Amino acid sequence: MLREKYIKLLCCFLFLLSAQIYAQQQNLNGIVVDGKNDLPLSGVIIQSETEEIITNENGEFVIPNQKLPVTLTVSFIGYKTQEIVVNSFDFFNIKLIKDSNQLDEVLISSGYLSQKKSEFSGSVATVSAKQLQNRPSTSFDQLLGGQGTGIDVIQSTSVLNNTPVIRVRGLNTITSGLFPLIVVDGVAVFTGSLGGFVGNNPLSGINPNDIATVDVLKDASAAAIYGSRAANGVMVITTKKGKKGKTRFNYNTWFSRSTPYNLPKLLNAEDYTMIKNEALVNAGKAPGFFLSKNPDGSTVDTNWYDVAYEPGISSNQNLNISGGNETTQYYFSVDYTNQNSFIKNNTFQNYMTRLNLSHEVNKSIRVGINLSYSRAKNVGPNTGAVAGNTLSSSTYNTEYITNEPLGRMTYVLPPNVPVYNPDGSYSIQNGISVGYGANIPSIIGTINAYNLAMVQELDLTTSISKSLLGNIYGEFDITKKLIFRTSYGLNTIDLENKLFLNPIHGGGAAYNGVATNIATDLERTDWANTLTYKDSFNENNHFTFMLGYERIKTTLDSWGASQSNVTDPYYKNYQGSYANISPIGNDLSENALLSYFSNLNYNYKNKYFLSLNYRIDGLSALPEGNKYGSFGGGSVSWNLLEESFLKDSKVRGFLDNLRLRASYGIVGNSEIGNYPAIGTYNSSTYGGAPTLGYSQTANPNLKWETSSKLDLGLNFAMLNNRISVEFDYFNNKIRDLILKTPQSLSAGIPNNYINENVGGMYNTGYEIGINALAVTNRNFNWNISLNLSTLENKVTSLSSDVFVPSVFGVQNMTRVGYSIGSVFAVPTKGVNPDNGQMVFINSEGKEVQYNHIGSPKWTYLDGTAAPAIDNYKDGVIQGPSLPKLFGGLNNTFSYKNFVLNVNLTFAQGNKLYNGTRATNSDQRYFNNGEFIKNRWTTPGQVTDIQKLYYGDNVSAGFSFSSTSKVEDGSYIKFKNVSLGYNVPMELSFLKNTFSSIYVYVQGNNFYTFTKYRGSDPEVSINGNSINSGKDQNVPPNAQVYTLGLNIGF
Amino acid sequence: MKKYILMSCFILMFATACNDDLLDTQPETSIPESIAFSTPEKILAQTNNLYKQLQNQSFYGGRFIVFNEQRADQFGQNDGNAATGSAVWNQNVASTNDFVNNVWSVGYTAINASNILISKMNETTVISKELAKNYIAEAKFVRAFCYFSLVQTYAKPYNQDKSSLGLPLRLTPITTSGNNDLARSSVELVYNQILKDLDEAEIDLPVTYATPLLNTSRAKKVTAIALKTRVLLVQNNFDQVISEAKKIVSATAPFQYTEGTLTQKLEPNYSSIFGGSYTGTEAVFSIPFANSTTETPSAQYALAYNYLTQPIIFLAAAGIVSDPVFSAASDARSGLIGTSAANQKVLKKFSVTTAPFRDYVPVMRYAEILLNYAEAAANTNDLIQAEALLKAVRNRSDPTYVFPANDVATKEALIATIQKERDIEFLGEGFRLMDLQRKVQTLPAKKGSIGTAPLVLPTASNYIWPIPSGEISTNKLMVPNP
Repeated sequence: MLREKYIKLLCCFLFLLSAQIYAQQQNLNGIVVDGKNDLPLSGVIIQSETEEIITNENGEFVIPNQKLPVTLTVSFIGYKTQEIVVNSFDFFNIKLIKDSNQLDEVLISSGYLSQKKSEFSGSVATVSAKQLQNRPSTSFDQLLGGQGTGIDVIQSTSVLNNTPVIRVRGLNTITSGLFPLIVVDGVAVFTGSLGGFVGNNPLSGINPNDIATVDVLKDASAAAIYGSRAANGVMVITTKKGKKGKTRFNYNTWFSRSTPYNLPKLLNAEDYTMIKNEALVNAGKAPGFFLSKNPDGSTVDTNWYDVAYEPGISSNQNLNISGGNETTQYYFSVDYTNQNSFIKNNTFQNYMTRLNLSHEVNKSIRVGINLSYSRAKNVGPNTGAVAGNTLSSSTYNTEYITNEPLGRMTYVLPPNVPVYNPDGSYSIQNGISVGYGANIPSIIGTINAYNLAMVQELDLTTSISKSLLGNIYGEFDITKKLIFRTSYGLNTIDLENKLFLNPIHGGGAAYNGVATNIATDLERTDWANTLTYKDSFNENNHFTFMLGYERIKTTLDSWGASQSNVTDPYYKNYQGSYANISPIGNDLSENALLSYFSNLNYNYKNKYFLSLNYRIDGLSALPEGNKYGSFGGGSVSWNLLEESFLKDSKVRGFLDNLRLRASYGIVGNSEIGNYPAIGTYNSSTYGGAPTLGYSQTANPNLKWETSSKLDLGLNFAMLNNRISVEFDYFNNKIRDLILKTPQSLSAGIPNNYINENVGGMYNTGYEIGINALAVTNRNFNWNISLNLSTLENKVTSLSSDVFVPSVFGVQNMTRVGYSIGSVFAVPTKGVNPDNGQMVFINSEGKEVQYNHIGSPKWTYLDGTAAPAIDNYKDGVIQGPSLPKLFGGLNNTFSYKNFVLNVNLTFAQGNKLYNGTRATNSDQRYFNNGEFIKNRWTTPGQVTDIQKLYYGDNVSAGFSFSSTSKVEDGSYIKFKNVSLGYNVPMELSFLKNTFSSIYVYVQGNNFYTFTKYRGSDPEVSINGNSINSGKDQNVPPNAQVYTLGLNIGF
Repeated sequence: MKKYILMSCFILMFATACNDDLLDTQPETSIPESIAFSTPEKILAQTNNLYKQLQNQSFYGGRFIVFNEQRADQFGQNDGNAATGSAVWNQNVASTNDFVNNVWSVGYTAINASNILISKMNETTVISKELAKNYIAEAKFVRAFCYFSLVQTYAKPYNQDKSSLGLPLRLTPITTSGNNDLARSSVELVYNQILKDLDEAEIDLPVTYATPLLNTSRAKKVTAIALKTRVLLVQNNFDQVISEAKKIVSATAPFQYTEGTLTQKLEPNYSSIFGGSYTGTEAVFSIPFANSTTETPSAQYALAYNYLTQPIIFLAAAGIVSDPVFSAASDARSGLIGTSAANQKVLKKFSVTTAPFRDYVPVMRYAEILLNYAEAAANTNDLIQAEALLKAVRNRSDPTYVFPANDVATKEALIATIQKERDIEFLGEGFRLMDLQRKVQTLPAKKGSIGTAPLVLPTASNYIWPIPSGEISTNKLMVPNP
């Protein structure tokens, strides 16, 4: 009803508009039908030179006031656009042909097989090339946030080419690998972070411009074909292939400028000395902080942000050439990117090239190759934002809090000391302390912060990765229906990580200079063979049956050395001369997976669909007897509109598609390390004599960790496909979690854990994706795409709590009955208005206050001694670190040749630990946030900031986690706003040379609405880890403005 | 035709690749458990590994000694960073503190390694019974030493309440899961086990090894006896201290012990204890380091870095450094006190201030045996022997020094003087906390540049460290310290 009204209204409006102008001419009448079944199509857009009309529910249209001959453009989503010339005013028939490249004919690739989306009954989020293009990045995974349901991406730092957090339907393991499996043209690629302090995401070897689609397989039906590797979801990437036809060239370029977004406001020199001296005096000491003068007489007021950060300019050049003839098609691309972060000296360069070739040898043999090479160079200072090298497993960042990282230094360095001496040299006190300026060392103690400018200039990490990724394949049609395919894939990464620390000042001072080089070879071969049989019985039964065999072998070969005690400060590289050398980073290990799999897809009358997967995986890492595991899944879907009882009903006129889906299956996690089950002893030396020490406890009973995934889905489209909706419910239950099961420390087990199958948890939630053409008009179109996912995670069994003890407190706790890695803190009641002391509530419910200079320090409110607050004993789970709801809202507005994209991302319901605010509240020499001025000063004063005592690192949540720093992480972010212009090709001087030209400007991380008091709620210093939601001492995210150009010719 | 050629090639490839041992992978950089005790060399390496555990940088490789000094009153803290142990110095550590977890964990790792070795040596046929017994004795020494270190850190002092909760006493090897739960034995039972192990070790340990380095870095008969004098002193069991000490201290000066090629006595030159070969006659047991960062502690864990390079902790002006000894040029020990850029007194015993921090860590010196003996003798009213032993230590550093009569006249005065001599002699070697706690004395307040750390009464909960969170969360029978 509504729709009818709307269209009528629109028709009337257009009619009136046109009627006024062309009153004397004649109307053109007709009907538009589907070329195959002759059913009328409503909502079809018909454009003449003067008018734009939409067909009514009967497919009919009237174009008023036309002169013959009329050229009409007829377009409709999912159909090929037609141009027709009309020479008569007679009522006429337009037949539209379905366009196989659009909408429901989208192909979903499982990596082994492609299926039409309309026949696919699993749950998949497809991200198209369009959603990835023209967005500056260092790797495609950064761009997936908000682009599909169930995919949660956190770009947690602005360090270039750092690995973002990617979760597909939450966290699906505790101590095994957390990355989704990423398959590029059939080859499982390396994931993780490889470059030490500068990150280095191996996915940067995949050029976003080369990607045709990313299919994110979320449920068991879709992913079960990957068996043991599918627990965290699977991303299947298909790269662009050449098409028959003339040679096409595309040139893409962009230039960008990045700046830090929303830096916490810190005290200036004057306020700093005032606050710090107040804290000293409160602690019974004399003032020790004083302003110092520059040679020109001005007061030293150093903004350390300005020392660390400057706008970074980046650029990217990309050219691809594609084409082909009847038998051979090719796609070739070259790409060079040169990026500079706003973090000084953090740079990223990447040379990439790709060649995809396919060739038809004869009618029954096809061969091809997909090959890409990249050389990426990451350079940067230690920022504290990168948790450390990992190929798969959950990491815990201990780097953020050490002396080296730049993020911490910007927050703690005193603003009243100079960067340089009058002679231009760096102002330093000694090997580890920045110059004290006028501050008095014996009163204020050690400033354990380096001169940031000096270490940021001299102490750099370099990570160079040379990555080769590709496969060769052959397809043989044994009969017309039986196809054999073999594919041999290879992913090698030749990695070189270098770190230099200068001998004078900073982390290298105690070692008189350190130079470390580590070379790593990563190699994975993947040989997959499939036999596919496709057949139909009569018209109604279609099926595809596939059998497969695959062997994957991964080897890691790493070696290196660290040299220290430089013989002359002239040397700044490993190859220079040093007095000491010791081995570092040695590793030699391998891992193999041997699999047999099968897949059946059955389709009855395009009405009922059935898909079954079964896979047997053998994994070298598991012990004898338990190596093989069986995985599988099945799904059914039902295309209701094909049912006779709906065929003639009114629903049919309203709905264009209605499908119900259900799937269930069991998958596993094979990222459990290379030798988790066997007992080992490691060698070393003691006073030069050989030693052999227990290094891993055996578990001969270790077996597969499995997840069962249930998915119920509903798809429908309505209003002539103007609105399409995809809805899913999922429930993933993980059993026999392979956990680094904590052993009591007194057992004396190596590393205090044994790999065991002990845990269980579930992830459940709803996902809804809505795509709507809100406005379709001749000049103005508005497309809205909303994706929204909910997530509830609960740990159902564990042997004991999983957490990392630290002198800096425990912020994340994994405990039975709660969401994995929940934010954990000791409850704070706030500041006692009587004495300004922070009041905590201990596990007995008693209020305990802290006086840093008290003896005793911990007292009940009546002043009697109380036991110290204990982070573990008194801590309480505060809420999940995973968002309860997240997603994206993507709008595309086009007006004439202008295109405006507005992409929002959002998250709701997660807690964050604002450790940076704890740092900025700390009462050592640390600089403080502007907010510290609200500190308690007089009895009776009500404030959330305690009385300041010099040296107090306890009250404000620095030494243990306190609820005063636990905040709501909900946000809505203008992630990406871009405005582009399609240059009209009618201009004659362009017409013969170019096929398309598109220019755009873009803002990334444009604005964030949030109550979070930190820099950015999109944060996780622990990277892709169960210990999410922690924010401390890392540089803020970047805001990036880009100017870009695409040319097709 | 092409089709068939390609297919045959393929079948050939398939045939060569299949039916192999793809899934049978073995680690190449570590030794499988099954052969870890299969040769005499591997067993020796396993034995060396016990000491390697003590060498851990969180334990006797450096940090444990620093923690003991930070908890006592001779040092002020310069660095407020928690990573440098400021909370340890502030007497404010929580169960989640990783130092609290690490020390406990490293100690028990060494204990389990000892238990494994003992059990393997009871079965081995690879080496002679005699050698196996030697190794078992070494394991018992290491086990006793670890229990002694842990019981002093995590349980009430023996002299305060020997029936209070001590440690979970683990005496059998653990190589599987399911062994988490074990209740704490009483302090007294833990001490009984320590002494039992040391008595047994004494019997089977060799008198001497082949080289001075091995004599210093592995336990021999003297080492076990020397440790007994320390343990018994902590129990105020003075008679037994004396009877043990007599085994290794000659009746009259110059006090020394000689057996075979081994001589243990005071170094004539005090500073040579902390330099040179580090393996002189005074070294009863030290942690050695090869000159490589694979063995040496990292900066924040190294004694030299803590005491001198930074310094993270400096000699508190009100502490023992104010004693005239340290300003008298005549006493050699004053030569190991320096002044930092911030005009603080600092300890120079450990002088390798750039990595690798390879100064050997002295764990037991002959001087300690003499002073243990002296204190026990004084307590049993043998003032003459006590004074003679005291003088031996003092006059080694200052040959002309004569103790004022009042300092040595009575039992009480002599005991106090011996304590002061210990404070002077072992400054920075981790003895002060043990000495305060075995006498159940208050840990005094102390000043550092990050503020004042409050005094800690023996009754206060922070007089000892909390049981670590990693133990509480996994061992269901564990009772935390109050």
